[in-house]
Amino acid sequence: MKSLPGAKRWLILAIILAIVAGALAGQFNRYYLGVWMDCGINIILAVSLNLINGHTGQFSLGHAGFMSVGGYTAAKLSLVYNDSVPSFLHVFDQWKNFFQYIPSSVECWRFILLGSGLLLGGLASALAGLAVGVPSLRLRGDYLAIVTLGFGEIIRVIFQNMEAVGAASGLSGIPKYTTLGWTFGLAAVTVYIVATLVNSTYGRGFLAVSDDEVAASSMGINPTRYKVTAFVIGAFFAGIAGGLYAHHKQTLTPTQFDFMKSIDIVVMVILGGMGRTGGVILAAIILTWMPEMLRGFAEYRMIIYALMIIGLMMLRPQGLFTLNFKRKGGQAPT
Amino acid sequence: MIKSSHLLHLEEATIRFGGLTAVSKLSLTIGGNEMIGLIGPNGAGKTTAFNMITGVYQPTSGRISFAGRPIAGLKAHELTKLGVARTFQNIRLFGSLSVFDNVRAATQLHRSHGVINALWRGQAFHESEREVRTLVMDLLSIFKLDGCADEEAKSLPYGDQRRLEIVRALATKPKLLLLDEPAAGMNPTEKEALMHLIRFIQEKFQISILLVEHDMKVVMGICQRIAVLEYGVKIAEGTPAEIQNDPKVIKAYLGTEDEDEKEDVAHA
Amino acid sequence: MDFYFQQLVNGLALGSIYGLIALGYTMVYGVLRFINFAHSDVLMLGAYAAFFMAPAIEKLVPLPGMAGALIVILLAALICAVIGMLIEFLAYRPLRSRPKLTVLITAIGVSLFIEFTCQHKAVFGAANRAFPKLIDFPNFTLLGLTIPSLSVIIVVITALMLGGMWFIVQKTKTGAAMRAVSFNQQAAALMGININRIISFTFGLGSALAAVAGVLYALTAPAIEPLMGTQPGLRAFIAAVLGGIGNLPGAVLGGILLGLLETFAGAIPGLSTYRDAIAFAILILILLFKPAGLLGKATVEKV
Repeated sequence: MKSLPGAKRWLILAIILAIVAGALAGQFNRYYLGVWMDCGINIILAVSLNLINGHTGQFSLGHAGFMSVGGYTAAKLSLVYNDSVPSFLHVFDQWKNFFQYIPSSVECWRFILLGSGLLLGGLASALAGLAVGVPSLRLRGDYLAIVTLGFGEIIRVIFQNMEAVGAASGLSGIPKYTTLGWTFGLAAVTVYIVATLVNSTYGRGFLAVSDDEVAASSMGINPTRYKVTAFVIGAFFAGIAGGLYAHHKQTLTPTQFDFMKSIDIVVMVILGGMGRTGGVILAAIILTWMPEMLRGFAEYRMIIYALMIIGLMMLRPQGLFTLNFKRKGGQAPT
Repeated sequence: MIKSSHLLHLEEATIRFGGLTAVSKLSLTIGGNEMIGLIGPNGAGKTTAFNMITGVYQPTSGRISFAGRPIAGLKAHELTKLGVARTFQNIRLFGSLSVFDNVRAATQLHRSHGVINALWRGQAFHESEREVRTLVMDLLSIFKLDGCADEEAKSLPYGDQRRLEIVRALATKPKLLLLDEPAAGMNPTEKEALMHLIRFIQEKFQISILLVEHDMKVVMGICQRIAVLEYGVKIAEGTPAEIQNDPKVIKAYLGTEDEDEKEDVAHA
Repeated sequence: MDFYFQQLVNGLALGSIYGLIALGYTMVYGVLRFINFAHSDVLMLGAYAAFFMAPAIEKLVPLPGMAGALIVILLAALICAVIGMLIEFLAYRPLRSRPKLTVLITAIGVSLFIEFTCQHKAVFGAANRAFPKLIDFPNFTLLGLTIPSLSVIIVVITALMLGGMWFIVQKTKTGAAMRAVSFNQQAAALMGININRIISFTFGLGSALAAVAGVLYALTAPAIEPLMGTQPGLRAFIAAVLGGIGNLPGAVLGGILLGLLETFAGAIPGLSTYRDAIAFAILILILLFKPAGLLGKATVEKV
């Protein structure tokens, strides 16, 4: 077990790659590009849920709710401010006359707006995570699952009745700010944060709580604090994923964030092997592409999906990827 | 009366579960650097008393204090921070974690670095992690577990697991270590080794140890003082010699199917 | 006054249906300690079974009519009892020794499988189908208040089913065995009880009740579709938790309470759009303040 001097290097490399890929995005088939962006979003969702379900062993079935909080927050911000480019950014337009690769004021504003929208959305979701986590803590196993499911549904119903976010019709016309660079860049950040967190001495506490809560508390580890922290951090990134999702699909309705969506993310975590970051990333990518692969079987697609869940649980509940896998942090999972 | 030299002080501590009184008016004092044994027939309430001292159960009435501080109502992790550590009757290691990580997880409570530092990974963080590594490996090598540091804890042989559990508890830098039937499932040779180990721990780390144990040889062999529980009540307390000759104690072990226990008490 | 009375009766009827479904959840949780997510789909299958059998039965016994309705209900119950036992045998029994979460996710998978398969056009198709009117009694009037007959019939049928359940659980050997298994599976097995048979029976019984509830529910919400079981199923589960999961009278009590609360909330303008969230809010409150439910007993974990 070494400390991780390489971790930061991996992160910077990954972000650079993401930006490069984003710059080249114009060359790719637009449709497949969209699917890859979905992959990036799902990676963020799966890895963030993995912190809660996999590493900390809390069975949360309401992740879509956190996603929606971030999504709506970011979308609302953009819808309100996307036309109000502040005047101080006009400098960039002047500089652009000298050097064409300087971003225009509009592009700068777009970046700032999305960035702050995502951050705000993440924070809002983190608060939701706190609100859900604290009461749910004393519950175990299936009870916790049902309560988190209930919270997810309550969030959905609240949005369904909130005029400010369009109630049942939701929000539409959200500007398409999400790019490949954003999705994969943030996916890299999410993986870095979660993986390096769990690998630290502090982070071993999550695994300890998951393994044996009573023993963990006897070793000075506060299980409550760790569980809430897991929920808050997991929700934060789900919110960011929601913001990216909103600026990708350009329409948000409450029904997009129902129980099925939460299940989709849970299946990714299980398929990847609860707690194995590398596996979860792969699983997210595979499951995002699966509907595309199964295009030919459109009408059987969901049935196959359900059978896959059953089959997975019966034959290989530990997930598909149980080989020792080097994560982006440069560490093998424990 | 609570004296400053007392580490653990129980005064008429009682635990009731519904209609069942598991521990009744237990009074016990442990000072610094003492080796105390807690024995009694099955169902006497030893483990329950244990759980009360370590914060898993709250006492229904009575007082407990540690190092002068009342501790009734404190949660297990808070007690550990004060210096009370324990092992479990049925080994409760973090099975899926490595040997190294089991001990590492137990060092967290004394580290001042939390979430923010773990994310930021500045100079201070890496130094802290290096310290932890040294600390853990040193501890493991004292107890000859450093060779299997990267192995999964649950794959270790039984005896090693027991030792690991003790090492893990020691990583929390306790002032009082509670051992819950550490000799369970061991053969005589292993028990000898365990006795050496426990004495060694007390000397090297200068801590107090409270031992719950069925094996009389072990208890009489290493404990300075022994308390005897029967049906939740303390019926005797004293040195091994005093306990062995106490008629109440002998009577408590009479009438059990386990004639060997009676023999052990007399011959240990 | 008439309005509030209507709500009361409707609430009782809805609550009875929830109670019937909740019994199934609570019984299965009692013996197996797990939440059968697929239970809500058995409800749907019961409604569809009745839907397909009604025309056949009509040839023998007049429909709408009490006798015909009862026969349809009985047959639906039998079919679903078999289905329930089949699901247990194929999907849950092989996983008996696995961690609870594995079985929970499998149950979710089974539920989704049933729903998606039934939505396929070769099976039932996703569209709504009008449910036949099995019972057609005129409404009663009592003290100047109109009482919808369907609601009364639902309450009566539910009461009869509960009576039957009570009898089975309290007065028969099988019932005693069920109670033993829910206390301590290992000890029950050592006493010579055939665990597999009892668990099968529990599933069968619960599924039969779900089927009856499904038919009654379909009578009140006259269209059926493959996802019709989800919402009532979820409410009924909450009702079971409210009453104390594992506790049979609790399930019924919880069902009735929830049915009344929802019906009255639905009648209050401003609150009605939040009707869906009310059930969940109740769930969360109960699990926070009295997780053992209204009639349940808290258990202490042995360390």
